Amino acid sequence: MSAANNDRFIELIREYSNTDLEITGEVRFREDLSFSSLDFMSFLGELEDAFDIEIDLERAKNLVTVQDALDYLTELTD
Amino acid sequence: MKTYPLAGGQNLHQRWITEYGTQQVSNVSCVASLQAALDFGLLKKCIQLAYERNECLRIRFPAPDADGQQLQYIAPVHTGDISYKDLSGMTMEEARVLMQQWAYETIDGYDRSMCDIVMLKLPEGFDGFYVHADHRLLDAIGLGYVISDIIRLYCHYRFGSEMPEEPASFTRQLEKDLQKQTSSKRFEKDCAFWDESFDRLGEPLYADIRGLRILQESRAAHDNKKMRSADIELKNTHVEAKKFYLEAASARGLQDFCLNHQISITNFLLLGLRSVLSKFNAGQEDITIKNFISRRSTKSEWNSGGSRTVCFPCRTVISPDTEFLDAAYAVQDVQNSVYLHSNMDPTVLDDRIRERFGTPEFTEYNSVWLTYQPAPMQLSDEHINAIPQYIEWFPNGAATKKIYLTVSHVSNGEMCFSFHYQTAVHTEADMELMYYYLMRILFKGIEEPDLTIGQIMEQV
Repeated sequence: MSAANNDRFIELIREYSNTDLEITGEVRFREDLSFSSLDFMSFLGELEDAFDIEIDLERAKNLVTVQDALDYLTELTD
Repeated sequence: MKTYPLAGGQNLHQRWITEYGTQQVSNVSCVASLQAALDFGLLKKCIQLAYERNECLRIRFPAPDADGQQLQYIAPVHTGDISYKDLSGMTMEEARVLMQQWAYETIDGYDRSMCDIVMLKLPEGFDGFYVHADHRLLDAIGLGYVISDIIRLYCHYRFGSEMPEEPASFTRQLEKDLQKQTSSKRFEKDCAFWDESFDRLGEPLYADIRGLRILQESRAAHDNKKMRSADIELKNTHVEAKKFYLEAASARGLQDFCLNHQISITNFLLLGLRSVLSKFNAGQEDITIKNFISRRSTKSEWNSGGSRTVCFPCRTVISPDTEFLDAAYAVQDVQNSVYLHSNMDPTVLDDRIRERFGTPEFTEYNSVWLTYQPAPMQLSDEHINAIPQYIEWFPNGAATKKIYLTVSHVSNGEMCFSFHYQTAVHTEADMELMYYYLMRILFKGIEEPDLTIGQIMEQV
């Protein structure tokens, strides 16, 4: 994934996470960023709009960490 | 003055105002006070500052345009007075009765302020203010944010606490929301989701705590044996509230179960409610409940005020042979999909459903609406945290829903189940029935999650 896309991805996480925590691959959406189900789904919707992709909700259930989401996003955009 | 269309959450209230013919259905009122002597001169300045900082408080509505569309604009300044009333000579109960009466007063007219904040000297040494506003300006969280802003401004100027952060721009957030609502790609995706669900499941089917006879009565009234929606109550909107408190230990048990099984409390409640309705409707598997979603995830969405609460159908078709935990996950899957597709204006979805199925006017597929509020409202600052607070929401007295359940947490660890019901349709006994079986079903499931939904409905 391009550096610009990577930056946009991190920027979106920051918008949704309301935290100063450093966003690394190991950071977990629920446990570390306190994403509720609504937050997480809204975030996925934002990813769909920003990157013009379609997210499979069954796959989305397995996205626990930032790295999981980044890997899936790379798969959809490459 | 730049005008904007209404966003989805605002349109919900606009529709109810139109259908019920009164702005009263859109009133939202709350008192916030501390048991301390406040400097009312300073409080007035803080309220004035809150009007300047929070654009949503200055929303005004012009007369509808030539097409009948209601638009909105932000007045550059708040022009109304911030008055003061001394109720300290009353008992607290008398003061509450008076404040409840204020909540019924309509805010009528165009191009006028739709939010009134009155400073109050209350009985028992409480000082504070009362907000009476139109729900198209702000929802409960938005109002909570504004109240908190006023108090934090007061604490800043009075005690030197940190100045509260500038609220996010309401208009910038509104523009973003409107863009998402009308963006063709997003809208197409959201419509495709709902269309696919109706392709798969067909027309929804009404269910009522009073049983199958309610739909049968509507079918007779419309001379349509196949009708799947039931009549709503339009004329008599008188409402009563019945509250139940789940004791702290049980509330903790419920929350722990949800945490341990990664089920959100909202989805757990939805499972319980749909199971109660299924039980009272001969095991009907196809149940719809309308669930309110407060669309606040980003910092800007949290801090820009506004009316961001929308509602969409949570429709599940669950066989009685489904195990309790699997049923909970089925509800969760449906709700997650709804969340992903909650950008569209819910009134647009309602219109699409009615058009697709030819739903008779003034009928609905659901009898119950749910709101879950995870955080109790608390006035918070190091200088006031030890001071007793009195905060109360006052219902507007005009119910647009047969049963509206608000579930919230109380500071002592209890959970509050507040049923607002139309008295023309329901009795207090109906609410007792609903609560009783909701608790029985949920806690039976907590004890024995391997039981099927059918077994639980039978055994409770």
